[in-house]
Amino acid sequence: MRFNEKEMVSLSRQPSEMAAELGMRGPKKGDVVKRRLVKLVVNFLFYFRIDEEEPIGALLLEQCRVEKEDKQTFSIAFLDEAERKYVFECDSEDQCKEWIDAIIKASYEFMRKNLIFYRTEIHRLTGKDPLEQYGISDEARFQVSNGLQALPRETSTL
Amino acid sequence: MAQNDLGFVICWIFEAKKIALNVYRMCSLIRQYTIVTPSDIFILLNSNFFFFFFLGEQIKERMKLNERSVAHYATCDSPPDKTGFLFKKGERHTAYHRRWFVLKGNMLFYFEDRDSREPIGVIVLEGCTVELCESVEEFAFAIKFDCAKSKVYKLVAENQASMESWVKALSRASFDYMRLVVKELERQLEEVQEAAGGGVGDGQQGRPKPALLNQMVQSRSASSFLSSSASSLSSSSSTPSMTAPQMAQKSHQEEVQLISRSSKENGVTWSKPPASWANGSGEGAPSCAVWEGSADPGVPPVPPRRRGASLESPVSPGTGCFSKLHDWYGKEVMELRELWLQSQ
Repeated sequence: MRFNEKEMVSLSRQPSEMAAELGMRGPKKGDVVKRRLVKLVVNFLFYFRIDEEEPIGALLLEQCRVEKEDKQTFSIAFLDEAERKYVFECDSEDQCKEWIDAIIKASYEFMRKNLIFYRTEIHRLTGKDPLEQYGISDEARFQVSNGLQALPRETSTL
Repeated sequence: MAQNDLGFVICWIFEAKKIALNVYRMCSLIRQYTIVTPSDIFILLNSNFFFFFFLGEQIKERMKLNERSVAHYATCDSPPDKTGFLFKKGERHTAYHRRWFVLKGNMLFYFEDRDSREPIGVIVLEGCTVELCESVEEFAFAIKFDCAKSKVYKLVAENQASMESWVKALSRASFDYMRLVVKELERQLEEVQEAAGGGVGDGQQGRPKPALLNQMVQSRSASSFLSSSASSLSSSSSTPSMTAPQMAQKSHQEEVQLISRSSKENGVTWSKPPASWANGSGEGAPSCAVWEGSADPGVPPVPPRRRGASLESPVSPGTGCFSKLHDWYGKEVMELRELWLQSQ
């Protein structure tokens, strides 16, 4: 599958508040833990070899599950391949919690759910749609039905 | 992309007629794992063997991506933000191909056909601007990126309405845009809850809503609202932490606090009044003394222009005000529409 690699490398260079050296192990059997610079930018987790400017790779953090494996370790698994886990080893329990928290919130779908929640709540309390004044009430991405999964829709049968 | 310090690969070939085939094979093999352009390969013929010289810095490993899962995201049940047919200009050749496009979040996938099971590719919509094209083709628009030597994706819609609809949807596809809208609603909800709950003392200061909407959001997400660029922070966007708002309702208090905290983590400043307005209070919407009793402060001072902002871009990131940017964009679309109608 093609993707705009140059632009992603450029994205990986953006300042990010979540960046740290962690031990990272790939999902394949026989993958070993390697020290990587792991950096969270928008909904991507980039990983670099230490002191290298360009990332080895990136993980899109949509449709994934983040789990605590043990005190200082967490894993990311993707819903389509739940047994394959990327494992990350932190230096402390706090750091581990911070990362889990940040990654959960780093997904577009997570933000969308929040938005729908706020929109609905505000509407419930005030009777007004808060998005109306911006003229974006009808944007597909802000629709209530977007927060629900598995709604049969013509456009999603691909 | 990791840099390999390959000096050269030597290939010994003894029979002249096998040379062409082996060159081809070697190139294909390498192309699978690297990005090598023809100009990078120098071939020296010397009687019985070839030298392939690859300049060390030109060979790069393709960046990895969890492609299978990304493709799964494209085709899974979650409802897409927009779908439809568009003509896409080929990456190597100038021909246009009709593709089925699916926009989900900040990812624009394209399929060979509507019922294809896997996308051909994806365009990550971060750090880009979407512009109408003044080109021969009707209903053409382009996705342009901020970074050096980047690709321009030229797309052609089937009619005016489709083009406008796509341009709008793509302009709002960035992660930062969504984050901005979420923050805005979060803030509004706090306001509403404070007013309703009458809980915290400063909840009833009669701040007019429009004034609050003109708050400077000094974050990279605001200053590049439509360009949805994550590149180069403007110098003013240092990020003090946002104090967790005091919520009347505890049920989602935690969640909102988490989100507030994550706003700090994500480097987004919210509710920071610009220096010229500062009355000493610089944190958190509820404790914004700056706003009390003030009428609409008028046009907020424009934050320093983001470095690297394209002057030609119709989506000038000169202003960081949320509603102003919306108006600005709307005007722009109107003007362009006028121009197009006139040219008909």
